[in-house]
Amino acid sequence: MGRWTVVTATTATMTLVLAGCSGGGGDEDDGGGGGGEGATVNLSLGQDVETLLPMDSNVGDNISVLDVVYDGLVRYDPETTEPYNYVAESVESSDNTVWTIKIKPDLTFQNGEPVDANAFARAWNYAAYGPNAMANNYFFERVAGYDEMQGETDDDGNVVEEPAAQELSGLKVVDDLTLEVTLIGPFAGFATMLGYTGFFPIAQECLDDIEACSVKPIGNGPFQVSEWNQGQNLTASLWEGYTLDEAPTTYDTIEWTEYAGESSWPDFQAGVLDLGSPPPAEQAAAESDPDLQERYLEGPGAALTYLAFPLYKDGPWTDIEFRKAISMAIDRQGIIDALLPGQRVPADSWVVPDGVPGGEAGTCEWCTFDADAAKAALEKAGGWPEGETLTIHLGQDETEEQLFKAVGDSIQQVLGIPYTLDPTPDFFANRSDRAFTGAFRSNWFPDYPLNENYLAPVYASGDAENGNTNFGYYGEEFEAAIKAGDEAPTLEEAVTRYQEAEAALATDFPTVPLVFSVNSYYYSERLSNVVLDPFSGEPKLRILEVSDAM
Amino acid sequence: MSDATAAKEATAGVVPDVAASRTVVSDAWRTLRRRPDVVVAALVIAFFAFMAAFPGVFTSTDPQSCIIGDSKIRPQGFGAPHPFGTDPHGCDVLAQLVHGSRPSLMLAFLVVAASVVIGVTLGLLAGYYLRWVDAVVSRTVEVFLVVPLLLAALLLLSLFRNVHVGSGSLDVILLPALVLTMFGWMGYARYVRASVLEAKNLDYVTAAKALGASDLRVMTRHVLPNAIGPVTALVPTAIAGVISAEAVLAFLGIGVRPPAISWGIMISNGSEWVTGGYAYLLLFPLGCLVLTVLALVALGDALRDALDPRLR
Amino acid sequence: MGRYILRRSLQAVGTLFLVVFVLHLLTTFAIQLNGNPALAFFGDRVPSASQVAAVEARFGLDDPCFDQVGNPCLGPFAERLAGYAQGDFGTNLRGREVTDIVATAAPNTLKLFAVVTVTWLVMGMFLGSMAARWRGRPADHGIRMTSVLIDAFPIFVLLLVYRYVFSVPLSEWARSTFGSDSLPAQLFRPSFDADHAWASVLVPGLLLGLAGSAAFIRLVRASQLESYAGEHVRTARSKGLHERHVLLHHVVRNSSVPVVTAVGLTFTEALAGAVITEGMMNIYGMGGVLWEAVRGSDIGLVIGVVTILAIVTVVVMIVVDVAYAALDPRIRYE
Repeated sequence: MGRWTVVTATTATMTLVLAGCSGGGGDEDDGGGGGGEGATVNLSLGQDVETLLPMDSNVGDNISVLDVVYDGLVRYDPETTEPYNYVAESVESSDNTVWTIKIKPDLTFQNGEPVDANAFARAWNYAAYGPNAMANNYFFERVAGYDEMQGETDDDGNVVEEPAAQELSGLKVVDDLTLEVTLIGPFAGFATMLGYTGFFPIAQECLDDIEACSVKPIGNGPFQVSEWNQGQNLTASLWEGYTLDEAPTTYDTIEWTEYAGESSWPDFQAGVLDLGSPPPAEQAAAESDPDLQERYLEGPGAALTYLAFPLYKDGPWTDIEFRKAISMAIDRQGIIDALLPGQRVPADSWVVPDGVPGGEAGTCEWCTFDADAAKAALEKAGGWPEGETLTIHLGQDETEEQLFKAVGDSIQQVLGIPYTLDPTPDFFANRSDRAFTGAFRSNWFPDYPLNENYLAPVYASGDAENGNTNFGYYGEEFEAAIKAGDEAPTLEEAVTRYQEAEAALATDFPTVPLVFSVNSYYYSERLSNVVLDPFSGEPKLRILEVSDAM
Repeated sequence: MSDATAAKEATAGVVPDVAASRTVVSDAWRTLRRRPDVVVAALVIAFFAFMAAFPGVFTSTDPQSCIIGDSKIRPQGFGAPHPFGTDPHGCDVLAQLVHGSRPSLMLAFLVVAASVVIGVTLGLLAGYYLRWVDAVVSRTVEVFLVVPLLLAALLLLSLFRNVHVGSGSLDVILLPALVLTMFGWMGYARYVRASVLEAKNLDYVTAAKALGASDLRVMTRHVLPNAIGPVTALVPTAIAGVISAEAVLAFLGIGVRPPAISWGIMISNGSEWVTGGYAYLLLFPLGCLVLTVLALVALGDALRDALDPRLR
Repeated sequence: MGRYILRRSLQAVGTLFLVVFVLHLLTTFAIQLNGNPALAFFGDRVPSASQVAAVEARFGLDDPCFDQVGNPCLGPFAERLAGYAQGDFGTNLRGREVTDIVATAAPNTLKLFAVVTVTWLVMGMFLGSMAARWRGRPADHGIRMTSVLIDAFPIFVLLLVYRYVFSVPLSEWARSTFGSDSLPAQLFRPSFDADHAWASVLVPGLLLGLAGSAAFIRLVRASQLESYAGEHVRTARSKGLHERHVLLHHVVRNSSVPVVTAVGLTFTEALAGAVITEGMMNIYGMGGVLWEAVRGSDIGLVIGVVTILAIVTVVVMIVVDVAYAALDPRIRYE
């Protein structure tokens, strides 16, 4: 999964909607029994789907399309999120540094080209080559030879030297079906990453005409994109030459309608679409409808929203007691109930509990609302400077603005600290320039299901002097635990080490966890076996069943 | 409504009347005083203007003090702590309504006043001197008309988004006011230019010129009075237009900046909850806005009738 | 007339150049002041310097002038103009052709505008004429008050109430009564459907048109009142012509002049309503595209789309002026 951008409203992007059955999006009345031939599933997408090139796709919506158009080396168990081999015959390593990947024989792309070691190598090399500016470029940072494929830049950020290498030196095609990957250091979670879109293979024909391929992908999965009117709708139909077993049996066409932010809930209510999530105002009405309640599905979401501080700048926030005070002053449940009922849950950990291996609830000691304790902590921290106002910086996203206004209100109410919100579209630029003068909103959506992904990319820097770029945080114990996890011989042990890193983080308390997302869908009467992926939160399309026996 | 439309609309009533404008004005005043709808409209406007000027008279609650625990309390009636209820954040709706009137009304008056001054001046100069002055003004008008207001507003407001002008009551509306003015004057300019062209060749103007009156004197004493009456009639409608425009800008998130409150922001926020059974969050601010707009338009219509002798 | 059109066209080219140049300056300054849109590409992740540089190059923002506040970036502007002159309107940040985007989005917006314009004209001519005919009577006051009332409601409130309160039961009813592929079912769809564009754009267009029709009603009423008082009408009447004839040939025809002008002028302004209508009804149109482009600092797309829009607007303005001359015998252009 990709980063969760501020501008992408979390509520708006991932509404998945199924509708219609036969042909042109029909009604309950028509269609033959038991689905089968001709059944159509209509899904909704956010309009930020700009490309269908796997190496360039990292937002939830591209991924839900690509997930049925391409097959990765591994796929994730819908119950546990643990990876299992799919296109890969085996993924093995003795030292977690050199990985040998064997690919199943006789697999082909939809244009007939073989899915072999070269198919993966060409995709990965293309993504890792800096000047191609692929969204998933950074996934290959851990592979040996990555640095040589990036251009040199001067202090102003202008490219002064082209990359020295065109291919990853750590990527070796041993034979047609064997790929050997050498990492820059041991990383037990490498096999877990391999199911992500960034690691999908591409055909040579795709590489020859990248532009065409990003609009009309040549996949190796069960579905083929037949038509994409960018901005409006996208149709994919079952590929007849598919030989692996994970393909739907009760429908053969998926039609996505693109939604540009406005809720598709009325379309679901009107029966045009079969799966939807209500906006906050409609939540209560949906919950009180007994008929709808029978067709409701909810799962934990993986996105964490938290409050961070410019620890690189002098201010009350450099005192841990102050951060505790802020954290305990926020009435998380009250805010959710008032503004986003059923769409968020209070967070009291830095890794989503149950969503990924190693995630555990309650690791944050000071994440429950306690006005008295908050006041006491503020006093211990020396109070808030008289006459100053706490600025809360955030991106321009309406839902987030509402949420953080309430957070500010809570702080103002309990601690008497006046606040202002600073919603700016330049949030990211300001953050990397370290231009913040107060607390700021942060959000993290993990790329692959492992607790490490909530920790290392966000907090680790190895820079004891300046700390990491975003927060100015550096924790010695934390860094050591992350390193120990990377070097652990097995994934289980690595997960335990990473949990220790989270514990170290909880002690240092650099950021204040606020809320986790919740994925919830209502579905129509003709759907069954609707299962939400505990990691991405999206319905598993490949096992979805459509029945027309209405 | 667009100023451009409004201007054109008034063009229909252009009459090169030779009668001295002073009589027209006093006539108009006499007619207006006697119309009940005008009196009611004027009272409504005076009421809201008073509210904007002295919010303390109507509420003592701080609109910025919001308690999440008091979220979405329904209207309790006068005498209770929250007569008009609270919004999802637990802010008092009455207090917001009262304090929100100031940015909304001030913005509208400011924008229209500035637009009229700019538009009338440029239109007068262009129509009177023609040649290059006219060419420059007409081209400028065209450029501003070609760029859609909303796009321009968006571009400019995002261009200056990092400029913190402050949080005073004038500061929060400064940017939207500037942008709306920049794209609000063209109608007046076009209109005044047209009526100057007509008035310029009238006998009495030619006579005044022949008698050696200075350009300034001819313009202000003889040409301008012909145009100024109908322009005045446009003003209330234009003010109403800006009040509505503020709501649209607020809906798009580029108007008055939160935490400052305006009717537009309240309407935009309230509309999210209207279907969830909290219609009052929308109806209170919307009611105020509609009432004000109606009063202004009624006043504008009456003014036009009164100031345009031909329509009487 | 021919020379007039030629002169206007030359002026139009000048206007267009100015518009594009001003837009270029604005967007350039926006990027210089506000920082780099390339960073948004990385979201919550911290990119390395070379990753940012690569994305800047991909976005066409690698010219160092974009980092220097106050630099007008004339180099990239000249390149862009040269491209436009050859009919190449460039691509958006993600490499999709601007012309392709416009080709997809413009028909939807034009359909919306067509419905809006027809609504304006019908409402304006019909109700405006009635109000003028019965001036001062209750019908006049009623029409004017109602139109102002509708006008005072922000368009997003109208659409929101329609979408959440009316469209759901209406479309359920239509689907169960007439079948799901029937025209009524498409009419009341809560969102736009590209496969049934005309049907699903009708109601939003009608609402948007209603919201703007008050000005037209007032306009028609005012100009017809003027006509009623005009000498030519008095003459026609005194000649003993039928009231019907007088009305159609002398009153309505003359009053259509300002209406045509107003349609031309409000063309660009309708775009404001289009941004909201398209956004709320999920219509993939010019308003929405432009809005997203500005928000995403997608310079290439913004300037490309506005240039195309400006060309259309200027042409419409010329056509309107010519129509003006054709309709009103008093106006002659040399």
